[in-house]
Parts: sequence; structure tokens; C-alpha cells
Amino acid sequence: MAMAAAAAAAAGAGPGAGVTAGGGGGERSSTRDRLLAALEDLELLARELIEILAISRNQKLPQPGEESQILELLIQRDGEFQELMKLAVDQGKIHHEMQLLEKVVEKRDNDIQQLQKQLKEAEHILATAVYQAKEKLKSIEKARKGAISSEEIIKYAHRISASNAVCAPLTWVPGDPRRPYPTDLEMRSGLLGQMNNPSTNGVNGHLPGDALAAGRLPDVLAPQYPWQSSDMSMNMLPPNHSNDFMLEPPGHNKENEDDVEVMSTDSSSSSSDSD
Amino acid sequence: MDADDTGNRLRFQLELEFVQCLANPNYLNFLAQRGYFKDKAFVNYLKYLLYWKEPEYAKYLKYPQCLHMLELLQYEHFRKELVNAQCAKFIDEQQILHWQHYSRKRMRLQQALAEQQQQNNTSVK
Repeated sequence: MAMAAAAAAAAGAGPGAGVTAGGGGGERSSTRDRLLAALEDLELLARELIEILAISRNQKLPQPGEESQILELLIQRDGEFQELMKLAVDQGKIHHEMQLLEKVVEKRDNDIQQLQKQLKEAEHILATAVYQAKEKLKSIEKARKGAISSEEIIKYAHRISASNAVCAPLTWVPGDPRRPYPTDLEMRSGLLGQMNNPSTNGVNGHLPGDALAAGRLPDVLAPQYPWQSSDMSMNMLPPNHSNDFMLEPPGHNKENEDDVEVMSTDSSSSSSDSD
Repeated sequence: MDADDTGNRLRFQLELEFVQCLANPNYLNFLAQRGYFKDKAFVNYLKYLLYWKEPEYAKYLKYPQCLHMLELLQYEHFRKELVNAQCAKFIDEQQILHWQHYSRKRMRLQQALAEQQQQNNTSVK
């Protein structure tokens, strides 16, 4: 009866105790194994004792004192067994505690993971917010740099539209010599065109004013040359550059002034007659 | 120093005129046919002229379309294409059509307004 209870306890304590004591290779067997071994010993000894007692009842003892030996062994084994049982009970308690602690650890782990997720999310949101704020700042900076007074813009818009440079005159029909770009005539009458004609005779001996007088030029062209917003541009300077355009930029070099002059004296192949 | 300044001012006006001439597709065709676009120095000059895109220079341009042409001229393919007269003609036509965009729009608006007024008149009667 006691043995059956012990066997049950051994089975219960076995799994837990097996873990604790199983690490020594073959040296330390688990509590369960030891309990079972002790049980087997007890069983063996008990059997032997009973056999000897049975035999000694019928015949004389072949070995005197054997039963006392066995008895002693039995008692010893029983003592060991009791100790092992106590050990098993303790180990069971510890195991139970371990399980509780493990549960707590698991819960904490989950909490940490949850916090980690939230932290990551928060970091992501903050990073996005910071990035967008930076972009906004950049565009604010950019806008500020390019700020132009509305008055100036309106003036400019008026200038380019009133002279029909970007918008056709309302009465324009095909055949009208006006164009959205400087025409041959305008090009020749400008400073560039005059460079090779230093004389005041104007182009081909005609002054643009003559053509106007002859009624062949619209008012727009005379004598207000397209590029002379002179009050404005007199004080303006182009960016500096060295004198030879053969080298790669930014070491920009001499414009081919020769070509420029050639342009102004050659008659353009596709233009209409200039006078 | 003074001569320098005058020289620079003159250069400013010359470059102003020249860059605006680039808005004329016939002129571009002229330049292409005479091989100016093959000259490395000229190409570098065109690149140098990009300074006209800055607002403090651009405000002097009467024909701001020239800036677009200038940008296109930075590409070799465009420069090569300009040798063809048809190319120049096409650009010319498109430019003129675009030029008329607002007058057409205005005409349409006026027409729409006139029609509306007519409708109002007839409904009043």
C-alpha cells in the first residue's frame, strides 16, 4: 500500500525531477529513477527475506545470520527510500513554483513585446512627422528665396503682353508680319545688328524710321527696339566670364564675336526682304 | 575701370539681344545650316547663356520664350534636327498657334457671352 503511493509520487515527481538531475551524463540519475531503483531493491530484499523465512521454517539455516543481514539491508533501503520520498516532495514543490514563475515571465514577455510594438509605431509616426516637417521647412525656404513682389510680376506681365510678345494681337491675321519672336527686321535694327554698321545710315541705307514713315511698319517697331527697356537695363551687367569659350565651363571663354558679326551682315536665307 | 564697365554693359545688351533672337526658329535654322551648332565654343556659349534664367536677369527679357529654346538647344539632338527647314517651319507654326492661344480663348469667351445675352433677350421677349 505504501509502495503504491510511493510509485504514484515517483511518477508525479519524475518529469520535473528528471530535468533537474538528468544533466550529469550517467553519473546522477533522476530522483524518479532512484526512487524506482530503491523500490526494486526493497521488493527484492523483501522477497529474499520471505524465501529465507519460508525455507528456514522447513529446514535448517544453511547460512546463519543471513536473515538479519537481509533485514538490515531492508531497513537501510527503506531509510533511503523515505529520504528520496521527501526529496521528491520538495522537488515537486519547487517545480510547481517554477511553473508559476514561468507563467509570470511569459506575461512580462508579452508586455514587453507589446510595449516594443507601440514604441516602434510611435517612432515611425514621429519619424514621418519629422520628415514632413523638414520637407515643409525646405519648401518654405525655397519659397522665401524666390519671393518676388507682386507689383514687379504684374509690371513684367504687362510689359510682355502689351507689346504682343507672348500674346497675339487681337487683330492678327495670317499675313501680319508680327511674330512671337524678334523678326529679321527687329534683329537687324537692334544693337547686335548695328555692330557692323557703325554708320548712322542704318540698315542697307534705310533707317527704321523711314520704313515707318513709308507706312510699312506697324507702330510697335519704331523706334522702340524690342530689347531696349533702356531705363532699366543701362546699369545691368552680365556675369563675368573669361575670354575663351573653347574651354569647358565654368571657364567660359570668348564668345565668338566673329560669328555674331557675320550673323548681322549675312542676309538670312529664309527671311523676307528687309526693307 | 570705366571702360570695363561700359564694355560690360554693352556686352549685357548684346547678349540680351542675342538670347532673344534664339526665340526665332528661322534664325536657329540659319545658325544650324551654317554649322554654328557644331562649334564647341558656340555650344559652350549657349550653356553660358543659361544665366538668363535667373530672375534678376530674366526680368529684362521681352520674349521669355527664348529661354525654352535655349534649354532645348542644350541638347545635341535638337541642334542636329534644326538643320532641317521643315523642323524650323514646324516650330514656327506651333509657336504662332500657341501665341494665339489667349486671343482664341478670349474670342470663345466673347462668343459664349454673346450667345448668352442673345438667349436672355429672346427669353425676355
